[in-house]
Amino acid sequence: MPFSVCSIGILHFTGVKLKQAKEWEPKLLGFLCRWCSYAGADLAGTSRKKYPASIRIIKVPCSGRVDPLFILKALQMGFDGVLVSGCHPGDCHYQTGNYRARRRIAITKKFLEYAGIEPERIQASWVSASEAVKFTGVVTEVTKGLERVGANKLFTDERQGDGTATAQ
Amino acid sequence: MEQRLRSEVKALLEQGKIDRVIGFEPGSLKFTTTPLITSDGGDVDHLVINPFIVNNLSVYLTGTSGRVGIVAKGCDSRSIVSLIQDNKVLRENVVIIGIPCSGVIDLTKVERLAGKDRDELDDIVRQGDKITVTVGGERKEFPASEVLFDNCLGCEFPTPREYDILLDEPVTPTPDKAISEQKLDSLREMPPEQRWQFWKEEFSRCIRCYACRNVCPACFCERCFVEESEPQWVLPVPRWQDNLIFQVIRSIHVAGRCTDCGECERACPVNIPLRSLTREMCNLAEELFNYKVGIDKEAPPLFVAYELEEAEDLIR
Ligand code: SF4
Ligand code: SF4
Repeated sequence: MPFSVCSIGILHFTGVKLKQAKEWEPKLLGFLCRWCSYAGADLAGTSRKKYPASIRIIKVPCSGRVDPLFILKALQMGFDGVLVSGCHPGDCHYQTGNYRARRRIAITKKFLEYAGIEPERIQASWVSASEAVKFTGVVTEVTKGLERVGANKLFTDERQGDGTATAQ
Repeated sequence: MEQRLRSEVKALLEQGKIDRVIGFEPGSLKFTTTPLITSDGGDVDHLVINPFIVNNLSVYLTGTSGRVGIVAKGCDSRSIVSLIQDNKVLRENVVIIGIPCSGVIDLTKVERLAGKDRDELDDIVRQGDKITVTVGGERKEFPASEVLFDNCLGCEFPTPREYDILLDEPVTPTPDKAISEQKLDSLREMPPEQRWQFWKEEFSRCIRCYACRNVCPACFCERCFVEESEPQWVLPVPRWQDNLIFQVIRSIHVAGRCTDCGECERACPVNIPLRSLTREMCNLAEELFNYKVGIDKEAPPLFVAYELEEAEDLIR
């Protein structure tokens, strides 16, 4: 039985991986600012725009909330790439959050590239609440880039078998 | 310099201008020094200045109370400035006793050149650009540039930028980036997978003693993210994956604070070339944001400052 029911009646899945597609598809983790990009993604949905199903979204209060540690952890957990998306410069709800985010992400991306992580895996964009089309474009482009660099095997460990969890 | 240092410190203590002093005294092993923190005027005669004063003493500033006199080389003084920028140290509480520095000696390089273990060497003397090593009565001469630490060879600010007392005439900087960054360049030439493989192998040796973090003046967090248990970002067991995440994040945390003093690499008991990570961080801060660490105590820290337009080529 791949699932069990606990004492308070919540369904627990045990060891089920989401449908294993035959062909590998990139998994992208998106950190979207609630004031702009998250709403932009919402608009893309309500306007029935098509974009790759590769992205899993986490809503953050501001792109400035994204700690470089989140990016690295996502890669360790097996995501193929990370997208941080916030308001255009000048439009931050908190005035300067996206400027701070920009410095952190730029340093993180360049530094991880130096350490040997493909730059395609760390992405950032400015998407406003009205830019559904830009959002779908970004996700499509980023996904294509991830298809080019292939699956993330950075943290796998041949000797110990399992250093990486499978992102779901 | 040494005599002047002692008399200056004595005067500062006697006049009550400082409560204690942080400096160097001879170490218990040959060719080493060890930090000396004292408020006792009688200890002042133990203070030394020689080519083995490797430690970046500013790491002790955050934990030392009162008004403190501190002996600082070029890189150390920039660490102090960086601590002032971060509001970790108040300028008026420190008396910076600056040493114009012409580099500290890497004993490993001396051992390699002399073909002897450090215990077998009788003496190492520096005179200007020459180092004379005496082994069993025999004297060998080497150019100083061959035995100084890599980070010293690339040093742009050998004379402290910020000081109250400068013990000698300023030293003219002669940075040689190519030599100082030899290891980094060889990494840059590798394809990305090979670089990752390199770090993976290096960090399989890490025992997570945290010496690198503890000697670093820029690592001043009271609670380090590696010790968080909820969420537990990295496992406390030394698996290479977690070791590497620890060090990469540490490097990002010291971005804009690291002065390339080289202490982390010296402290590492398993000889992981940590400077090849942290030095790159200094380069990136400069390349991307034109930020040089520790040269302006009034400037906002790297990750607090921003320009309206920068790094846009990295963003979609
Ligand atoms: S990271 Fe290393 S080189 Fe940089 S300031 Fe800290 S101890 Fe010195
Ligand atoms: S000093 Fe070296 S072994 Fe110790 S935690 Fe740092 S990298 Fe690991």
